[in-house]
Amino acid sequence: MDAGQISFWGVLLGGAVRLATPITLAALGETLVERGGIVNLGIEGMMALGAFLGVWGASTQSWGTGLLLGAIAGGSLGLLMGLAVLKGGVNQIVAGIAITLLGIGLADYLFQVWQPSGRSAVVVPLVPIVRLPLFERLPVIGGAFFAQSPLTYLAVVAVLVTSFALRRTTPGLKLRAVGDDPDAAELRGVDVIAARIVSLILGGALAGFAGATITVGYLGSFSSDVTAGRGYVAIAVVIIGRWSPIGAMLGALVFALFDSVALLAQSGSIGLPVEFFSSLPYAMTLVALVLTARAHHAPRALGRGLND
Amino acid sequence: MVGGLKQGLWLAFVLASMVLAILFLIVLAGANPLQALRGLFDGAFGDRYAVAETFVQAVPIAIIALGVAPALRAGIFPVGSEGQLAIGAVAATAALLTVRGVPASVALVTGCLAGILGGIAWAFIPALLRAHLRVNEILSTLLMNYLAANLVLWLLRTVLGTHEEVATPRSDRLPIEALVPKLVGGTRLHWGILAVLIGSLALAYWIRSVRGLGYDVFASHRDLAARMGVRESTAVMTTMLVSGAAAGLAGWLQVAGLQGILYPSVAGGLGFTGVLVALLGGLKPLGIVVASFVMATLATGSSGLQTDTGVPASIAVITQGVLLFGAALLFAARQRRARTAISELPVQLAK
Repeated sequence: MDAGQISFWGVLLGGAVRLATPITLAALGETLVERGGIVNLGIEGMMALGAFLGVWGASTQSWGTGLLLGAIAGGSLGLLMGLAVLKGGVNQIVAGIAITLLGIGLADYLFQVWQPSGRSAVVVPLVPIVRLPLFERLPVIGGAFFAQSPLTYLAVVAVLVTSFALRRTTPGLKLRAVGDDPDAAELRGVDVIAARIVSLILGGALAGFAGATITVGYLGSFSSDVTAGRGYVAIAVVIIGRWSPIGAMLGALVFALFDSVALLAQSGSIGLPVEFFSSLPYAMTLVALVLTARAHHAPRALGRGLND
Repeated sequence: MVGGLKQGLWLAFVLASMVLAILFLIVLAGANPLQALRGLFDGAFGDRYAVAETFVQAVPIAIIALGVAPALRAGIFPVGSEGQLAIGAVAATAALLTVRGVPASVALVTGCLAGILGGIAWAFIPALLRAHLRVNEILSTLLMNYLAANLVLWLLRTVLGTHEEVATPRSDRLPIEALVPKLVGGTRLHWGILAVLIGSLALAYWIRSVRGLGYDVFASHRDLAARMGVRESTAVMTTMLVSGAAAGLAGWLQVAGLQGILYPSVAGGLGFTGVLVALLGGLKPLGIVVASFVMATLATGSSGLQTDTGVPASIAVITQGVLLFGAALLFAARQRRARTAISELPVQLAK
């Protein structure tokens, strides 16, 4: 194996880890929401709005502001969805589609108001990369895993913390009870509606933050449809990961690995058409979805309204 | 009763604040709301051509919505019309470019069938996956949309691409006999609007048929529907394939009725708007036709708005979201009232 090959795998893996970050964060949020029994189809819109606010915040203030604004906007959309579904009795799927339209529409609209078309694109500084000493020197995986954006490390920590919280802490157990058997949870004094609204706010904030990590974390600019279906991929990844935070992170890596392949394919000819590689991440997500479809690990009350 | 009034006030408050939010966004873009309304109206109904354009926009949306309605009524949620439309357009274009030189009637039937088959083919995979492997149809159809978009790009770059020197990828022009005749001279309004009429009648018939009723029951009470003879796999396959067929038909019309060429953005969000319109229209034919016209007005109106006042046309997408939110809230409130009425029934009977 020569040095060229090593760097190829390093670049591929590094790209995959970077691209997996926003999907991991969004999928982590969706895991929380679905553990509480709700499917949030609005993620795509929340991510789009977060992606725009990330750039806007980074351009006018700092990347920290951008990330914060993304999280706040996503959380607000989550609250809106929670009120509509749990107080207004709206069907979750319909509410999710409405949120997606609102988020995407707002992102595109505000971007065009801020930057009327014809001007050159705004490019913002990225969150600086943090190299972990010693680990970074490891062959192949060193650069891929330990010379990354702090957002990536943050995502991994968030996954581990959430995984622990869902299994070992009272709020985590309450949330799972709400998602598995809301009636029984209610009888035991858990406020089902409040728990679900809080899960939607958290999930929304994570989705908005995830959107901002796309633009502030590695792209540096916003354009229409910058999220390219990553919100939907995040929902798929939750199913693939069987509703566990760590599973979701591994699922996100599957998509991101092929996304990284597609990016590399754009820069050099690999023999097959470039459209084939651009399709790969979505096709592989679908394949993974098919392979995991038979297993029944879903929260038992998932997707059902409280009165059904 | 007091609860109902309070609820009504709440609802009015929510809807009013949504309208205010849109007005605020228009002001944010530096436009006068009244002027904006004027631009919206001009864009949608300003002259004969604009009115025809609004109808032109409404046709594919209505066809897709009418086609997806049976699935939604049965509690199945395909969101793949976007990709199915694109593949229908591809199939129609490929067929029509192959059979050159045939009489117009043959070309029309060929294009129509090819479009429908293309749409069905793209719906077939998610339908099969849902019917037999229980793969979530929302996600599979959404993912298929991205595959369709890439397939169209690849085909336009290779076999279906034109030999002319053009800046953006597109197909060769369809032969003249393949084009759908115009309904009104001097505009782009074509005979495809007939499909909306046929689709509405078909949906109206379906809702009233025994099968259709069984499928409605399937949405909420699987066991009862099973006793009525509705099999899950059949329900999933038929409704999802019907929605694919409708989207494919719309794809043929977008190519043969309007542009005469295939281009990458042929679906252009119509698929999503179609599903939205089916929901807004209450999954009923008349409601869908009205809702598709409202959405088309929003589309042509918002481009008029952009030309007149510089307010970005994407205000239309925000408005779509607000409309869906508002309609869903109203619908839920009505349903809740109906439920309370039923639960109070025995009490009243006792009196």
